[in-house]
Amino acid sequence: MIGAALTIARVKFVLEIRRREVIFAMLLFLAATIVIVRVALSGDTGAGTRAAAGMLWAAVVFTAVLGLLRTFAAEHEGGVIDALLLAPIDRASIWLGTALAQFGFLTAIELVAVPVWWALFFQGGGPSVGTVVIALLLANVGIALVGTLSAALALGARTRDVLLPVLVLPLLLPVVLGGVTATYGAFGEEVGGLRPLGFLALYDLVFLALAWGTSEHLLGD
Amino acid sequence: MRTNRHLTTTVPLVLSIVLVPLTIAMAFWWTGEDVDQGLSQKIFYFHVPIALTSYIAFAFGAFSAAMYLWKRTEAWDLRSYVGVHSGTIFGTLVLITGPLWAKASWGVWWNWGDRQLNVFLILFLYYCAYFMLRFSLDEGERRRSASAIFALLGVGLIPMSFLAVRVAQTLIHPTVFTSIGAAMPGSFLLTFLVGMAGMLSLMVLLISVELRGKRTAARVLQLQRSARGEDA
Repeated sequence: MIGAALTIARVKFVLEIRRREVIFAMLLFLAATIVIVRVALSGDTGAGTRAAAGMLWAAVVFTAVLGLLRTFAAEHEGGVIDALLLAPIDRASIWLGTALAQFGFLTAIELVAVPVWWALFFQGGGPSVGTVVIALLLANVGIALVGTLSAALALGARTRDVLLPVLVLPLLLPVVLGGVTATYGAFGEEVGGLRPLGFLALYDLVFLALAWGTSEHLLGD
Repeated sequence: MRTNRHLTTTVPLVLSIVLVPLTIAMAFWWTGEDVDQGLSQKIFYFHVPIALTSYIAFAFGAFSAAMYLWKRTEAWDLRSYVGVHSGTIFGTLVLITGPLWAKASWGVWWNWGDRQLNVFLILFLYYCAYFMLRFSLDEGERRRSASAIFALLGVGLIPMSFLAVRVAQTLIHPTVFTSIGAAMPGSFLLTFLVGMAGMLSLMVLLISVELRGKRTAARVLQLQRSARGEDA
């Protein structure tokens, strides 16, 4: 089952490297959002680090939604999904493989965009790098899991493109809250030590369990 | 769960007709005024029972969703939908009474520092999305499964939202119930319990009436089909 998931994730990566549909769009969107917010806030010199932390997380979540809109697109358009469902593999592995690919896409984009965020908001004295990186990685896991699950639910809906953000954003609100708090902590604010990071890890586990439990019913018949 | 009609409709109807006005009477004429908050505290006997009832309705929706995924019968799908629906109705009331209370006791309509209020807003948005999902899928097995899975995810979202807001914010909401027991006078507690019972009966009534309506509609549709000779 893990093997099948890894194969599905690999196929998604190979396709993405050939077509370059998702990653570049997401990257440009994330960069543009960061720049726009920086420009919009430039009049307010008092906004400071809290605004920077908040906008990073808002931008990450919106970018993830943009990527999720294309999650099952290839499968849906080419009828690949039927073939996958007929294949002698666990349904959970289809979902897990897709989530792995989403995680990879998000992480790849953040590798480029987060340094841009850093450069635009802090010329010196930024947050502690380790905490932000761990928070982002933990959040990426949660976003990929919950996002792929929602994308699978919205598959076949008439208003899929509008529906997906509506489904996924309330589910991701705890991630944003946890991530922002962890980033405040990275700036040296008192947030109760590792609690925000622990919360993000717990979120990942809870939704991994829920998604795993329901994945058998997920993709329809 | 095709139980006796009296048990699911008549009893809750009578109970809500008696208990809801009784709560009003008790709140205004029996309980004393709160030393700290004064008259505005009276909304407590409605706001809190409505909020708890709404959580219970969502829980019923999620439970029925799990039952649907297990049993795969349309009846459970319908129950899940109706549970979420009445949860949303009570949820709307929570989002009306909450800011009213906040305005009276804190001086602002909405307090972003308040844990319960924010969790509730997340949850409300989430369950509103449930209806969007349900009604943009065509009727059938796929819609039922997708709705059930989405309703079940709420079971993870509720504790996660509470934890997230707790991690992110300081404790502001007055904690009336503590681990030692309810920290309020007996008359307050009794009025609260009567209010709670009233709201719960109202919820049961709403759920059973709506379920009956939906079942009847489905039956009519089926009869119309067979009358036209398109037996399914």
